Amino acid sequence: MNCRQCTEHLYEYLDRELTPELEHEIREHLAECPPCGEHFDFEQLFLDFLRARCRAQGAPPELKRRILRELFDE
Amino acid sequence: MSPPTPPSPPTPPPPLTPAAEADKRESFEREALVHLDSLYRVALRLTGNAAEADDLVQETMLKAYRAWEQFQRGTNAKGWLLTILRHAFINEYRRRTRHPETVDLDAIEPFSVFEELQDDDPQGTFFDRIVDDEVLRAIDELPEQFRETAVLSDVEGLSYEEIARVLDVPVGTVKSRLFRARRLLQQKLYDYAVGMGYIKGTAR
Repeated sequence: MNCRQCTEHLYEYLDRELTPELEHEIREHLAECPPCGEHFDFEQLFLDFLRARCRAQGAPPELKRRILRELFDE
Repeated sequence: MSPPTPPSPPTPPPPLTPAAEADKRESFEREALVHLDSLYRVALRLTGNAAEADDLVQETMLKAYRAWEQFQRGTNAKGWLLTILRHAFINEYRRRTRHPETVDLDAIEPFSVFEELQDDDPQGTFFDRIVDDEVLRAIDELPEQFRETAVLSDVEGLSYEEIARVLDVPVGTVKSRLFRARRLLQQKLYDYAVGMGYIKGTAR
């Protein structure tokens, strides 16, 4: 596997969407190729950052009460 | 492209016995209501405002409860609920809130932030200085097709297959939208970080 082929699968790899065989090939390439390794690390950091920043928000407690009232207290 | 209609009972269901009603309520609370936070987060990003997100989520839950007999227990309730939510949004809210894009989404080829950062911040430490609100604002500025794909993947953690089902598009479309959405987000956040002086940045 070369760098271009590896990078083509960047997000599929990070999202765990590849077959075990392809995933293995990419992991091997990343271990041998520092530039690709750094690139993938950076993108992983970015995805972790996105998730951490966006998941803090939850439904307001009042909305849950409103829905429960609407569903079950008729 | 018109999405398939969400699941709904073909005829009014016969009244349930009290025991069946209690069972329905219990299973709905256990399998559907646990996803309230996810539905709310997605609704907020779709509508762009809290009052409409409240209404959209409430409507979704009512529709889901009415159609609960159609839902196959033990399968992916989150995906099923998000599909209902998205249809409700398209049919009733989008007209009033945001407008579908007219831009050519395929023409968007955002640059790679990783390459820009090589001399400056290759570890991406500037991310640490960007607060929640700024990230949410960047997501809200994405074209709708990219925004919904990114939210389902990066915020709610759905698989490509699940996203494809919710959005009613091929998996390949999910991949390409996700790629562009993430690159656009990186670009927006990079520009923000340069603007704030967190990183030097290079002239483009």
